[in-house]
Amino acid sequence: MKKKKLFKPQKLFNIAITYLIILAVCFVFLFPILWLVLASFSKTGSIYSFKGFFPTEYSFDSFVRLFTDTQMYNYPKWFANTLFISIMSAFIGTALTILTAYCMSRFRFKSRKAMMKTTLVLGMFPSFMTMTAVYLMMTQFNLINQQWGLILIYSAGAPMGYLTQKGFFDTIPSSIDEAARIDGASNFKIFLKITLPLAAPMIVYTLLSSFVWPWSDFILPQLLLKNKDLWTVAVGLMTLPTDEFSRFAAGAVFIAVPIVIFYFALSKFLISGLSAGAVKQ
Amino acid sequence: MANLSLKHIYKVYPNGTKAVNDFNMQIDDKEFIVFVGPSGCGKSTMLRMVAGLEEISAGELRIGDVVVNDMEPKDRDIAMVFQNYALYPHMTIYENIAFGLQMRQVPQKDENGNVILDKKGRPKMGKMPKAEIDERVKAAAEILGITDYLQKKPKEMSGGQRQRVALGRAIVREPKVMLLDEPLSNLDAKLRTQMRSEIVKLHERLQTTFIYVTHDQVEAMTMGTRIVVMKLGVIQQIDTPKNLYQMPANKFVAGFIGTPQMNFFEGTLKKIGDKVEIRLNGSQSVITIPYEIVIKAMPQYLDGNTKVCIGLRSEDVSIDPDVVKESNTTIKVKISHTEELGTETLVYGDINMDGDGFGDDSTRIVLKAAGFKNFSSGDVVDAALNMANVHLFDIKTEKSIIPRVPEYTYQDCTVQKGVLSFAGTQIKLPPAMPCPDGNYELHIPVDAISLGGNISAEVVSQEVVNKQTLARLVVGNSTLFALLDAPVEGKKVNLHIDIKKLSICKDGNVVVKPMPLINSLEGTFAMDKVKGTVEVDGKVKSRMVPKYSIVILGQKFEAPADVAVKMFSAFTGRKVFNTSFRYELSPYDFTIGEGGITASVRWMINYGDEKFIECEVAGQTFYVKADKDYSGSVTLMPDFTKVGVTEIGREIKIV
Repeated sequence: MKKKKLFKPQKLFNIAITYLIILAVCFVFLFPILWLVLASFSKTGSIYSFKGFFPTEYSFDSFVRLFTDTQMYNYPKWFANTLFISIMSAFIGTALTILTAYCMSRFRFKSRKAMMKTTLVLGMFPSFMTMTAVYLMMTQFNLINQQWGLILIYSAGAPMGYLTQKGFFDTIPSSIDEAARIDGASNFKIFLKITLPLAAPMIVYTLLSSFVWPWSDFILPQLLLKNKDLWTVAVGLMTLPTDEFSRFAAGAVFIAVPIVIFYFALSKFLISGLSAGAVKQ
Repeated sequence: MANLSLKHIYKVYPNGTKAVNDFNMQIDDKEFIVFVGPSGCGKSTMLRMVAGLEEISAGELRIGDVVVNDMEPKDRDIAMVFQNYALYPHMTIYENIAFGLQMRQVPQKDENGNVILDKKGRPKMGKMPKAEIDERVKAAAEILGITDYLQKKPKEMSGGQRQRVALGRAIVREPKVMLLDEPLSNLDAKLRTQMRSEIVKLHERLQTTFIYVTHDQVEAMTMGTRIVVMKLGVIQQIDTPKNLYQMPANKFVAGFIGTPQMNFFEGTLKKIGDKVEIRLNGSQSVITIPYEIVIKAMPQYLDGNTKVCIGLRSEDVSIDPDVVKESNTTIKVKISHTEELGTETLVYGDINMDGDGFGDDSTRIVLKAAGFKNFSSGDVVDAALNMANVHLFDIKTEKSIIPRVPEYTYQDCTVQKGVLSFAGTQIKLPPAMPCPDGNYELHIPVDAISLGGNISAEVVSQEVVNKQTLARLVVGNSTLFALLDAPVEGKKVNLHIDIKKLSICKDGNVVVKPMPLINSLEGTFAMDKVKGTVEVDGKVKSRMVPKYSIVILGQKFEAPADVAVKMFSAFTGRKVFNTSFRYELSPYDFTIGEGGITASVRWMINYGDEKFIECEVAGQTFYVKADKDYSGSVTLMPDFTKVGVTEIGREIKIV
């Protein structure tokens, strides 16, 4: 019996090329992160003392000082602020996005098409384009220097990106809704008892995506939060002087922790296919 | 457990397409109605309108005695089974079936089973007790044999089981009407046959009205007590499976029901004495049939020149030598190919010896032969036609020319000095029917004949069609058809002929017209605010109330309340006031001399026992029933309680 060759040279070459490309891309993506993580463990704080890729000495010092030395730079406070704003925006924004998407998907009303097109076009403009207008409006509403002001902007802006969610609702057959209507459920009951449970993966996705924006945003908090106690992490870290670079790096690394936790905790809900078996495909 | 009444129901889309066009039907309690037709014929739309998932554009839908046009689906007491099952995927089978009961508001009962009343004396509504839900879910599961699966999720079940769950979800609510929208079309052939008989059994067991939509004529024929055949939104025929098969009203129904499809030929009919000769296009054979078979046909179809469509089912064509020997209606068939189905062989051929049996022209023929038969292409055989079951259709209108209920009976007649004689009967023509002496053809509508006159007749046969009786009568030596309200008892009857409905013709021209029984008027609908009184919480208050009126010929007449309601239900907003309508009034709906429209009398139409005025208003001719002679001008007060209203733009009957 002839032994089968494991890899033909041609195939081996193809695989090698593929992996080389993957490695190169990984390096491009991971290099800054790795550098930042290494910097956060560096003992010398100043950015000028960095020579080469690896720090000269390692220590946990920056992380410890991040949480203990709060006199000047109150990192725990910023962290709590960011968490509060992000969580509130995520919940309110998700509720609004899901409701918007459901309405656009399920109800036929006048000017529905026009509204869909308008939101699509408006969503293309970057948020900082409206900075001046937002600032003026917030002064009128007396929401400068208030976390709720930010939450309002983030939540109200979230439904702009309802198209993904609408696409998902479109895949839930309308005959399920109709069956529930005949069974005696009102529109809201149908939404609550039939559509929402089926849309769990979409809700998780919406929650995560509407959490990430306020979590990493810099422009709006910088614009609207003047009081040091109200700062978010992004604004706060920017005020760190150049000789506190390892502390900056530590703060930046630590801020990634909640997102990673959220992602892993919710990833099992992100698997779609929950609606399998509802109708005959 | 309810009957349904569907009157003039339309579904019109904004672009003007009529998905359902003037749907009229009465459905009795416990009937199994099947809507059948090719895709896009409006059958599903009609069902969804009954369910309340689709808005009714115009018309009136009653379930029981209640008009449900504007009612929510849940309040209509119906249940629906969908083609794709539409189960709730995140719920177990138990929860799926129980969902409808959990959503429902039922009168609350105390421990003794008495209904609790609220402060206003109405029954207090609330959720159904868990124990009762449990009991009913389990009973439904028992009926459908899905008790073992109650804790499973829909995705763990097969197609047939899922459809059973969908049925369970419907029956658990004990609805008045069960609606099924192609419930079997997603199942494979074997399962479909099995579920078909199960649904029929379920219907017998539940004793509820079923409405079933399918595009499969076999399903329709095997399941329905009555079948509605639809095409392009229009009802083609409503009848029992047997009647649809044996007496299709038009070519479409004839072709749609039955496999293989009915054979259609073109040909001519010629009446010779009491026989009719049929010549088929493309064939040399001449077939002679007794006149008896086509007695209901209009004479112009039997002149030997008018092309008609001749339909024969494949089982009415035989090539069995014994049958062919006995038969005197045979035709030569050139065989093109055969399909062996085991118990029988379908033989395809052509009655035209130059034809090839392919192509959908009018000489192609399919016939059934028992067992396996071997033919080679090009063989010519004699085929016997069972002409007793022949179907004849008009080429243009495709309607049957031998319908169950003919419109008219045709008689040769003579007029001599104002006396009409036909079939040994003499009638003195009234002044309203002036007719010169001569020989004519008399058209007697079947509804012109009623019992209780002075013409004696003999009853040959009677059949009940749509709750009316079609009687075949012999007067003198001639046959007359009469549509009566009830079957006649005994052999001898006395008839009365309503002479105002007769028409006398000569060579295709109408010499004496029948009395027109409908006056059509164009007009609009208007609303005024007038001072009136309203009762609010028991107190009579003075308010401005709307008053609706029908505007014709520049005058306003108060519209009856039910007419106004129907007008509003057919339109949204104020559009009803900017639309023009055609109002139809019978000559009996006017009162003379009490104000209203002023008309000038042209002349009196005198039928002896009845008199009518033919008068003119603004160039339009009116016919009005009168009790005495009038001349000059009269005033006519219309009575709109029995008015017929049609929207002119979209041709929609509203009332």
